[in-house]
Amino acid sequence: MLAPFVLVAPAVLILVLLRLYPLLLGVNFSFTGDGDRDGAMVGFDNYVDLLRDPLFQGALRNVGLLVLLLPVAVAIPGLLATFIYLRVPGHRFYRSVYFFPAVLSPVIVGAIFNLLLSFDGPVNSILGAFGIGPVDWLGDPDVAMFAVVGVHVWATFGMALVVFLAGFATLDSALLDAARVDGASLTQVIWHVIIPSLTRTIQFVFVTTMIGMLTSMFGLLYVMTSGGPEGSTYLPEYYIWIQQGQMNRPALASAASTVLFVIMLVVGLLQLKLLRRAGRED
Amino acid sequence: MKQRAVWAAVLVAGLALTGCGSATGSGSSSGGSDKKLVVWDWKSGEASSAQYVEKAKADFAKKHKDVEVEFVAQPFDQYYTLLGAAIQSGKGPDVILFNGGGQIRDRVDSLQPLDEYVGEDRQRLAGWEAFAKGGKTYAAPVTLQGHPIYYNKALYERAGLDPAKPATTWQEFLANCATITQKTGAKCFAQGNKEGIGIQFFLSAMASGVLTPQEYDNWIAGKRDWNSPNVKKIFELWKETGTAKLNNDGANSTAMFNDAFAVFQSAKAAHIIGLMSDIGHWKDFNEFITPEKLGVMMAPTVTSGATPSLPYDGGIGYAVAKWTKDPKVAADLVRSLTSTDALKAFYANAGAITADTTIDVSQSGPAVTTIVGALKTGKPAPHVALSSKALDLMGRLSQQLLSGSISVDDVVKQMAAADTAG
Repeated sequence: MLAPFVLVAPAVLILVLLRLYPLLLGVNFSFTGDGDRDGAMVGFDNYVDLLRDPLFQGALRNVGLLVLLLPVAVAIPGLLATFIYLRVPGHRFYRSVYFFPAVLSPVIVGAIFNLLLSFDGPVNSILGAFGIGPVDWLGDPDVAMFAVVGVHVWATFGMALVVFLAGFATLDSALLDAARVDGASLTQVIWHVIIPSLTRTIQFVFVTTMIGMLTSMFGLLYVMTSGGPEGSTYLPEYYIWIQQGQMNRPALASAASTVLFVIMLVVGLLQLKLLRRAGRED
Repeated sequence: MKQRAVWAAVLVAGLALTGCGSATGSGSSSGGSDKKLVVWDWKSGEASSAQYVEKAKADFAKKHKDVEVEFVAQPFDQYYTLLGAAIQSGKGPDVILFNGGGQIRDRVDSLQPLDEYVGEDRQRLAGWEAFAKGGKTYAAPVTLQGHPIYYNKALYERAGLDPAKPATTWQEFLANCATITQKTGAKCFAQGNKEGIGIQFFLSAMASGVLTPQEYDNWIAGKRDWNSPNVKKIFELWKETGTAKLNNDGANSTAMFNDAFAVFQSAKAAHIIGLMSDIGHWKDFNEFITPEKLGVMMAPTVTSGATPSLPYDGGIGYAVAKWTKDPKVAADLVRSLTSTDALKAFYANAGAITADTTIDVSQSGPAVTTIVGALKTGKPAPHVALSSKALDLMGRLSQQLLSGSISVDDVVKQMAAADTAG
């Protein structure tokens, strides 16, 4: 009689005690004050502060920028996987090399690129040899965010590449042969055969890349730009960390966490919906 | 079957509960008992601090034989985050290491005023102001932290300048820099403003040459007039370091810790506004530039009536938490941690200028002698008086000043707003 409940109890207990309860505590905490008003209920004051803070606005804008850059971040591993699948010369070598950065920790990747992208670093020397003026990759507010996203894509595309290769394994090679016999060019093969056959893989990579961008860029930001220059590379997680650890405003940080949670929830639900719809089409 | 399921549930519930327990911190690292004091810091784990901790412990054992002391070294970049969590839970360590200024002032609600316990140490130690708020002292200083302007005498010699006579006015300073850059190729300043720290050092090092003594004292006392011409002048000078190409290239993407120090150490720049203790200081520079070739100069005078002085404060100091069982015993531990013997070991091994002004430093080279000699006339550093929020904003605005995307008027306006709000 009790057995079913007892059996689900561990999962439910873990979820409620270690996930839901702390989450509710955090949301509740975001309605209390900091400093002199520590512990007092302040209603939506923290949220008003957040929306007025140009730094947090900048962080949200950067989230928007990440969403816009998402297609690029998915296209790069997709295209490279296609080349490997089509057996360009040296494809075995590339297959292992492309995955290599995925095993490095973000801190190490950040440190390496700090050296490469520094003002008097090798990247600028090479550009200089071609007569292109030095670019302050991590010191120019218009460039820094793209530099960090670029490094993040470099560091993580190996995982997406593996997923794409797994997708290719399910591709019917007879279709490719047929397209070749019909005289299709490479772009036509990619556009009319490969992309339609890999819809579900592409969607999966979209979802995982998005999550990766929103939740695991902290290490790179911390090492490469510290949110700068001029606050141009803030993301919500970095903002939360600064407010809680450096500014001693844990309640404001809680409010920012709640906003980030809602954003992730909305993005997650939208993606789930997209995936379901795609599933029905199959 | 049912029996087994019940056992499984009990087991999981037990695991979940112990999991909760360890997530909130085990007893060994937080909250001392009657016979035990827990100290949090980011120093005691380093080899160079071992002797210091040993001496302090020995001194404390003389007073309280039966009380055990446990040092918990936390990683510095996580320190205030971890401490914030401990303060929230209301049961943290008994004795806590703090940076002076904003970091401790933001958290005095959780600390015990120490005035009644440390009276005897008042004269011997310097740098108390950085740990005081509202007329009460919350920590005893261990080291002094300040911002001397270091210069490379070898570069002065190569440029044909007299290394014994650094510039005393801003115009002279600019002329010297032009000569050095022309003759040696070295830049004027090694500057690292990636974290927005460059402006903090610059403000503190230059302020005494720009502000009148009255303005300076008002600034420290919290009466800051951001719209005064002299305050604006400091930010104009900062902007000038960018437009006149005094800084190393890419100052906004150069980290102060430790890329800017490396620029100075490798003689690619003639001056750097460094620190007095811990890092980026005379001991580090002595290794590369040699003690004889390392000079320390006072801020060049910009406005008449300004009297250049060394900006310094209490650097790090030990405070006592409000929730400790017996504040007297904890305060005794703080006094042991700032005893002359312990601080002497800290100076010798870690290369810090300690708060104890009675320690002899003459064998460490002319730069240290200059610094210690300037302590008497020194004043608190202007940037330390600002809140962490104002400092954070100033960091970002200073980067905009260097990249030319904001005007000085706009900067002082925003700073004035942040300073009153913070």
